[in-house]
Order: sequence, then structure tokens, then C-alpha cells
Amino acid sequence: MEANLIFDANIYSIDAIKKACYRNINRFAVNISKEEDTINCNITFKNTVTESQIKIYLDDFMKEVLDQDLRESIKKETEGVRNLILAHTFSKTGLIKDE
Amino acid sequence: MLKLHGSAISHDATLMQRGLFIVTKKSELPRTIKSKYALLLDNYLNYEEGYGAYISFSEVKISNIKNYFYLPKEMDYLGEGDIIRIEPSGRINSLFRINSSHNTILLTEQCNHYCLMCSQPPKNIDDSWLMDDAMALLDLIPRETRNIGFSGGEPTLYGDHFIDLINKTKLILPNTTVDVLSNGRAFSDSIFTSKFAAINHFDCVLGIPIYSDDPARHDYVVQSKGAFDETILGILNLKKYQQKVEIRIVIHKQTIDRLVQTCEFIASNLLFVDHVALMGLEMMGFTRANLDQLWIDPFEYKDILSEAVDVLTCYGINTSVYNHQLCVINDDVLPNYKKSISDWKNEYVDQCDSCLKKSECGGFFSSSKMYRYSDHIKAII
Amino acid sequence: MSKFQPIEFYKNKKNEYSLLPFRFEPLSEVNYAVTNLVGEHLIIPRETLEDFVKHKLDSSSPHYINLRAKHFLVDDKTQIAKELLSIKLKTKYRVLSEFTGLHIFVVSLRCEHSCPYCQVSRQSDDKIKFDMSTDIADKSIDLALRSPSKNIKIEFQGGEPLLNFPLIKYIVNAAKSKQKEKNLSFVIATNLALITEEILLFCKQHGILISTSLDGPKDIHNLNRPRPGGNSYEKAVEGIQMVRAHLGIDAVSALMTTTKNSLGRVKEIIDEYLKFSFTGIFLRPLSPYGFALKTKTYSAYDANKWHDFYLEGLEYIIDLNKTGVKFREYYTSTILTKIFTSQEPGYVDLMSPSGIGIGAIVYNYDGLVYASDESRMLAEMGDTSFELGNVLTNSYEDIFLNPKLLDPIEESFAFSVPMCNDCAFETYCGADPVFHHAIYKDFVGRKPESEFCNRNMKIFKYLIERMDSEPYIKRLFMSWAQSNA
Repeated sequence: MEANLIFDANIYSIDAIKKACYRNINRFAVNISKEEDTINCNITFKNTVTESQIKIYLDDFMKEVLDQDLRESIKKETEGVRNLILAHTFSKTGLIKDE
Repeated sequence: MLKLHGSAISHDATLMQRGLFIVTKKSELPRTIKSKYALLLDNYLNYEEGYGAYISFSEVKISNIKNYFYLPKEMDYLGEGDIIRIEPSGRINSLFRINSSHNTILLTEQCNHYCLMCSQPPKNIDDSWLMDDAMALLDLIPRETRNIGFSGGEPTLYGDHFIDLINKTKLILPNTTVDVLSNGRAFSDSIFTSKFAAINHFDCVLGIPIYSDDPARHDYVVQSKGAFDETILGILNLKKYQQKVEIRIVIHKQTIDRLVQTCEFIASNLLFVDHVALMGLEMMGFTRANLDQLWIDPFEYKDILSEAVDVLTCYGINTSVYNHQLCVINDDVLPNYKKSISDWKNEYVDQCDSCLKKSECGGFFSSSKMYRYSDHIKAII
Repeated sequence: MSKFQPIEFYKNKKNEYSLLPFRFEPLSEVNYAVTNLVGEHLIIPRETLEDFVKHKLDSSSPHYINLRAKHFLVDDKTQIAKELLSIKLKTKYRVLSEFTGLHIFVVSLRCEHSCPYCQVSRQSDDKIKFDMSTDIADKSIDLALRSPSKNIKIEFQGGEPLLNFPLIKYIVNAAKSKQKEKNLSFVIATNLALITEEILLFCKQHGILISTSLDGPKDIHNLNRPRPGGNSYEKAVEGIQMVRAHLGIDAVSALMTTTKNSLGRVKEIIDEYLKFSFTGIFLRPLSPYGFALKTKTYSAYDANKWHDFYLEGLEYIIDLNKTGVKFREYYTSTILTKIFTSQEPGYVDLMSPSGIGIGAIVYNYDGLVYASDESRMLAEMGDTSFELGNVLTNSYEDIFLNPKLLDPIEESFAFSVPMCNDCAFETYCGADPVFHHAIYKDFVGRKPESEFCNRNMKIFKYLIERMDSEPYIKRLFMSWAQSNA
């Protein structure tokens, strides 16, 4: 069984798609390819998977892509402060108003 | 209720300025220390020359006693060893009561907070003479005294002078534990905190309020922007210097909704504090003006109180519930219940007469009795 | 009164905020779990999550206030979050600098039991071949005492360690004579069949604790743990009472292993623990090592069956607490400690960086050193990936700087593993390179296919949703998060 999903490359990063694929590695195999403005996911299911399962799996996958997109935004915004907090965790002084 | 201040009914003051005196009935004290004492006249029988002042609760008609103050009957609780302040005007204040286990010394009425429920509304006037009196008082307080408290206003507004006071307390009363009520903001300054820590007092607890885990709410309750961060930072600094901290939460309509979250916040961020006090509302000062915004019947929040206590105790935080009546709390709070209201403040209402638990109950602030208390007070039989 | 400002005055004016690092995981169609750097969690709707990330969340919404109070964001109202997060992280990582507190001494591989699921034991009288020598013991003690940890716990294991009691005595005395500033404690892991007054007197003298096995009611226990006479249960029960009579009620703890005989009978098993006044139980799945795998006992039940077993047990324990019977489930407690406190419970399977070598180390009877108890079981199966050296020929540095230890720790560090690095439950979870190597032949495995990941993920989600559903359970779970009370 196969399915094809197309994502808008202006909205989703290839990284987000890849991560979503990885999280579904136990459910299907994916071949990802990129054209100008689209990211294509060619999805292959095992023969034992039923139609109704496929529908659920694809549904979950698309939600996962959205989640990965959110995760990307969080990471982008918080990476700096995360490093700052970690750096201070392993240093001796506090962060604000310290001697 | 005890009357802590009063004016002499008649007096013959030759004092040029206010003075602090230890009350005594002993007429044969050595000359060298007599001037520190106010001799409580039985009648003329125990009169002796040379005392700093003379007081009585029934008029002693003798003309040649200097600095004689005839005091109102309500103050006749004053006895041997108590310390009073006498002003030339004839105004008398009880500053230290020897039989009380909690003597609190007011250091200032100035404050950088303006709490909705402040029982001692701040006044923006120079009252540094209170600090001078406190310093002088330390010289008179007996060395056996277990504990004294300092409150305000905000005592740390004195800056280094506050440090001097605690240092003097340590030097002159080496076995006395000290409680200080502060909003803790001054300790957000590491240098100030390090000076305070350098006193190395063996048991000085800073009682610092946190009214919410939500900074906006805390700032609102204390009516000061940025208060939350400074107070938390102050507590962190104090702990960095291994000082003792008690967190005090007054429970009212503005704090009850996030009381459990606030306790969770303390457990997860300030686990190292030495004590958390959950306190009922006192009907003094601003509370009455803001009653609509503040009043919630303790009976209505008793389950929340149980939950809050449960969170704190489960994390092993030493927790006390103050200023509540036994008939408006759940039994699971009992291990943390403290019969707390000061001896000169607590009273009971009619329903309490037949209550079997009256002797274990803290009762009411006189202000609550007069003004507002739970609608669910009933005798426990 | 006009001199007081309304609360609006104290809220931040602009709807501007910055996100602090956090991760999320869906719990259901609607609700998501979010966790911050130190593992504090909240449940929020997907919609709110999206608004939050896109900076559209209104600062007066209750979700906003919760997110701010739990340190998921900072705004112009408060900046203290970073300081607090950093302090808590410091506490969490402090434990790593005091590594290797648990030192397992396999004093004999011989055992008079022949449990089908057992990973390592031998039925043999050959002491020369299967008992630890004093020479190996001496070298192992020296290594143990070099650990940076101030508190050193020596656990005697087997086989059945009591078959070589003279060596236990030797090790206790030798370790004590060399302990210097270290705090030493000792545990004997035994089936208690061979316990005697003499042994207990020695334990009493040296404060040695006992850890034993109790798989449940008599029939399950004896079916799981055959021995000559078929009386393992009777021996264990008798032994527990004997230990308590000499050393006190808390001196003996018990472990259970879930076999297919246990399935469907979790309540009876818990009742058995209650009957013997234990204050908790560790509902433990079979490990995929040793004979368990060889004899196919491991595959006798799958992950789902174990999960059902665990949940039924957990719910039963919750109900017990509701009726006033204080009892806890220890695996859950370990996770809850990570959810609710900055403490590191130090349970090897749930540590990241992995607890191998750090949380525990094994000195085997033959002098070989393994990175964990599971590692030596894996070695029995022929996989020597976690064999770190030999006490007779290798130095402390050889052993603890061995790439066989460092590589798996580094590679499996969940902070950097695909899927783990963006998992909301990473701070609750562990790396367990040994498990993954046993099953998937690499230190990491692919998490969507990893039974370890699936099993724990299910538990995390269940616990978080469960305590959100009922304040009583949140309180109960909070109390379990605290070290034994």
C-alpha cells in the first residue's frame, strides 16, 4: 500500500517533515523528495495494514508535522536562553544581580 | 484585649525627653541602677528616692514625688520586669512584657509596600526615634529572654542601621532568638545580604511574605511593581548565605485562588526555607477599608487550606497554620495548627463558651471579633 | 479606595513575552503535556499551545499565568525564572559529580534455586570455578573505595551470595578497615533459604540490610522459583520474619518479577506484600536478558500485557491509599521523584546520561567488571559490550575511562538522541543503552520501535493525565515523589 502527501515547502521545513517521518518509523517507510515549492512524501505501508489504519496513520502523521513545526519555532526562539541557562548552571555565579 | 498604649490620668513629669524604664516594685535596688526603673507604687509604703519614674494604678496623693504617673486601670497588667516608654506628655507604651513569649518591637512605620491588608498602615514620616528606642530597649531586656521580634513597616529600610541593630541584639542578648518581619526585597542586594550574614546570629529568622506564585498578583497585593522578583531574589540570596527564612502567606480573597499553586511553587523553587506560615486575615488597618476585596469566610476555603498544608508537609516543609479557629478548619490541618494569636490580642465569642476545644483554640483577634469573623463559628462538643 | 491600584495596573502592559525552553507531547486529541527545562509540567489544550508559541496568548488568561508561574515564559513582569531554573538544574546535575554509589559484588554464581527466568545462576558445587576469590575481592574493594562518591553501598549478589558467606564477612571487614572518610553500607540480595542466626548476628553487628525476592502468593512464587523441596516461598516468608526479628521491620525489602504466571493476579501479589507489612512494591517486568530470553519466558507476555498488569496494580494501590492503607509502587515513585523534585533518584534504568558505571558497577565472581547488573547478564548471553575490564589486571582509570563505558554513555545521552531530544518526558526518562543493545544491537535503538520507549512513554502519559484528573491523586503522587517516608 502506498500514499502520497505533499507539503508546501514555504510553510514546512524539510527538517520538520523528516522528524515527523522518524516518529512514524514503526508504522511506515517514507521517501522524501523536494521540488521547488513542495516537499513530497511517498509513503509505503506493510501489506498487513488495513485501509482504516492507513487513514489513522496518515492523519497522525500530518498532525505530527504540525507539531514538529511548532517544535521548530520553540527551538529557534529558545536556543539562546537555553544555552545561557545551561552555561550558568555549570558556572559558579547566578544569572542576575550577582556579586 | 490588653491596652498597650495609654495616657497617664495625671502626672508630674519632669522628664525632659521620653525614657525607657523597667517596671519594678522593689524599692531597695542599688543606687547605680535605680534610674533605669519605674517604681510601681503600692501606696506610699514602698517609695524610695532615685528611681527614673514612679507609676501607680490608683492615685497616690503625695506631692513631692518627681516623675510620678498615675496610669489608667486598663494598664494594670504591667508588672515586675515589664518595660515601658514614658513620654514627657504622659503617654505610656508597653514595649516589652516579661511574661509574653512573643514580644515584637516596632522599628518603623515606613514601608516600600502598601499591602491591601496591612494591619499597620505605613506612614511616610521620619520615625527613626523608634530605632533609637529599640537600641536602648536592648539594654534593658533580660538576658534570659527566649525570643524577640522586630517588625515595621519595613525594618530593612534602615539599611546598615538595621544590620547594627541585629548585631547589637546578638552581642547583648546572646541566647535570644530573633524574628524579623521583612518583605525581603533589601536582600536582593548581595552586599547587604552578605553584611547581614556576617553578623552570624545563631537564630535569626526572616519572615518574608509571598502572596502568590503569580508575580502580577503578588505585586498587586503588596501594591508595588517588581516586588515579586526582588523578594524571591532576596530569599535566594539569604539562602545562599545560609540564613533562616520563613515564608508568610496571608490567606484572603486575593490569595486563596492560587494558594495551592503558591505552595507548589515554594516546594519546587524554595524547598530550602525553614518554615511556611499560612495565616488568617487580621481585621486591622487597611483590611477594613478593602474588606470587599479581601474577605472570604475561612469555612469556605478550608478544603483549599488542607490541600495547601498537604503540599507543603508532603515536601517536608515545616508548616504552620496561624490565626484560624478550630471549628473552621479540617482535622487534617490539626498537626500544623498553632494557637498563635498573641496573648494580648486573642479573644473568644459567645459560641465558644460551650466549646470543648476552647483551650486548644487560638480564638480571634479582637479586631476580628469586633469587625468580621466566620459565619460558621460553632462550639465543638 | 483610590489610593490602591487595581490588579490590571500590575499586569504587564504589552502582550509581549519570550518563550523559555520547553517541550511538548500530545496526551490526547485535545490536550498536550508541556514540560520545561527542569521537568515541571502543565497540561494545556493544543490550541493554547499554538497560541502560546505564536505569541498570541493573552496575558490575562489562566493558562498564561500558569505558564509564567511554572517558568515556561518570561515577560516584563518577571525575569526570575532563569535564575530559578538554573538553580534547579544545578541540583539535578550535582549527583553526577558524585558518581558510582552502588557497588555490586557477585560473591558466587552458584545457587540452589533454578528459576527459569534467572539470568545468571549456576547449579553447581564447584566453588573454585564459581566463587569469588579473596584476591579478586581485595582488588574490587580498592576500586570501590576510589569512587568519588562519599557514600559507598556494597551489595552482595549471586547466584545466591549466602553460599559464599565467609567471603561476605571477609569483604565487610576488609572494606571497613580501609574505608577512611567514606560512609559504607551493605546489602545482601538473597532468597533467604539459607539464612541463619549466625548470619543475622553478623548483619546486626555491621548494619547490613537484606534484599529478597517475593513474587507473590505461594503458588506463583514456588512456580517461578523452583528449588529442591519446592519450598522457596516458605523459606522466604520464614526468612523475612527472622530478619525482622533480628534487624527490625525495615531491614528487609523485597523485589518481585513479573512472569506469565503473575499476569491477571496483580492484586493477589500486592495483597501478599501487604500481608507481610511491606510499605510498597516494585512491579518489575522481566528483563530481556539471560535465561529469560533463552527460555522464551521473556516473550511469554508482550509489552501491552505488562502495561495492563502494571496499571491494574497501580490503580489497586491508589484505591488502597484511598481507604487509608499507605502503600506505594516504587517504579512510579522513581518517575514521580523526577516529575516533582530536583532530586535524582539514581535508578540506573531511568538515568540520562545513562546510569551505567555511574549509578552502579558490578565486580563479577571471576574478576570481570561490568557497567551494570544488566551488563553482566548480557555478557552471560555472549554480548560483552559492557565488560569494562578485570580487577586483577586493569587500573581504576582503565576501567572508568574505557570506551566501552564512555561510548554508550555519550551515544545514548537522551539530550542528543533523535526523538528523545525533543521529547517532553526526556527529563523523566533514561537512556538504558544496555537494554537497547540487548534487543536492537546498538546503544540507542529507534525509539518509535523501542519497547523501552513505548513502555515508559505510556506510563508518563498515564501518570500525568491521571493526576490531572483528580486532586487526591496529585497529592498522593506528590507524596510518593518524596524519598521514603
